[in-house]
Amino acid sequence: MSVGYKAVQWTHSKKVYDVVIVAGVLLYLATFIIVGKIAWRGDRAISDEILLIRALGTCAIVMLHIVLAIGPLARFFPRLSPLLYNRRHLGVATFLVAAAHGTIVLGYYHGFGRLNPFVSLLTHDADFGVASSLPFQLFGAMALVILFIMAATSHDFWLRNLSARTWKSIHMMVYACYVLVIAHVMFGALQAERSSLYPALLAAGVIGVTALHVAAGLRERRIDKQPWAAIDQDKKGAWIDLGDCRDIPNSRARTVCVDGRPRIAVFRNGDDLCAVQSVCAHQGGPLAEGKIIDGCITCPWHGWQYRPEDGRSPPPFEERISTHRIRSRDGRLELNALPEPPGTAVPPARLPEEMT
Amino acid sequence: MAEWILTIVAAYLLVGGLFAIAFVSAGVSRVDHAAKGAPLGFRLLILPGAAAMWPLMLLRWIRSDG
Ligand code: HEM
Ligand code: FES
Repeated sequence: MSVGYKAVQWTHSKKVYDVVIVAGVLLYLATFIIVGKIAWRGDRAISDEILLIRALGTCAIVMLHIVLAIGPLARFFPRLSPLLYNRRHLGVATFLVAAAHGTIVLGYYHGFGRLNPFVSLLTHDADFGVASSLPFQLFGAMALVILFIMAATSHDFWLRNLSARTWKSIHMMVYACYVLVIAHVMFGALQAERSSLYPALLAAGVIGVTALHVAAGLRERRIDKQPWAAIDQDKKGAWIDLGDCRDIPNSRARTVCVDGRPRIAVFRNGDDLCAVQSVCAHQGGPLAEGKIIDGCITCPWHGWQYRPEDGRSPPPFEERISTHRIRSRDGRLELNALPEPPGTAVPPARLPEEMT
Repeated sequence: MAEWILTIVAAYLLVGGLFAIAFVSAGVSRVDHAAKGAPLGFRLLILPGAAAMWPLMLLRWIRSDG
């Protein structure tokens, strides 16, 4: 939340996460180089530079797959959501690894000619023993530009100052980046490849990422299409029957979606229930998948907090989300589908006796 | 053609780089009050973004109320 910016808002778990990223990258590179030295020998030997280029390129593409898989995986396995918190560190690390790959290529393949290396990169047509005539390096360069823009604008400062919509569209470009990287490898490295291991791995990656996204999308659709029944309608929106709420564990929430409108999180706080918009004011994280910690609804993505009673962040923070009216009547729990203005205090509803 | 594109990109980034230095040292706290007195680490982190997004941030700076 935003009282004064810091470089990085470190927490213990973020440090652990980053150490794991760095260690993982180094371990991957070392393994690739050792295995590469053993596998490519004799007349198949390659120079150290090319080995490093390959190690870094494959490392970057593996990281990109992890980045893309975390989102849908965390929807199915809430235990994984801590991985989401710091997806942006993984994204920045992916850019750095890919940039190292591109930089070495620039120096090694394009650095020794008469041409300026950048001109050479833009104009050459893959004529160094690679059978394709498609400008696969251009695809790589375009992907790298996207990774750079995402990494450079990943700080919360940019989220606030580019507007959430612009920021979101910038970060949706990760999918364009993914397509470009796949094209880069398909029309580049794979053209010279004899073994079927590489193409098989690449296909598995593409199919895996696609399947995860389709599955997560279907699941989301199911939530958005859940049946609901309006009980009565007052001037301020429809009241919805929430049914039995015993299944909501304490400090957790149920997602409610009415008519495809923004989702609502119905939280249970002891025997009280309260409802807020399920969309976090930070980056739209799913509040209903978070829990109440220290009396505040805590977003599962980056831990922003809101008081259940009025949707306001505890001081000194100033963020606000919409609340929803909720009431207990004739042994039934009812939720009003119309959001109150952000930060409006609403009284909680008691869980009816029959449901406790 | 390639030379042309590169010259334009280089010019954009050169202006962006110079702008970014001014932006992170002075402009940023005008555009966003939460950045007043922010540490050097924060300023360095947003420097590359400021160099890439400079036309947008220049507009925000000009329109800021101080
Ligand atoms: C300026 C940007 C880039 C340039 C100029 C570039 C250039 C190249 C070149 C020349 C190769 C062939 C290396 C060889 O001889 O084996 C290659 C392979 C590869 N690149 Fe890139 N690349 C760029 C960006 C990227 C990015 C952003 C990614 C992924 C995120 C990537 C992933 C790969 C992979 C996975 C390979 C296959 C490595 C192998 O042969 O084992 N590249 N790249
Ligand atoms: S805290 Fe980042 S989206 Fe909620």
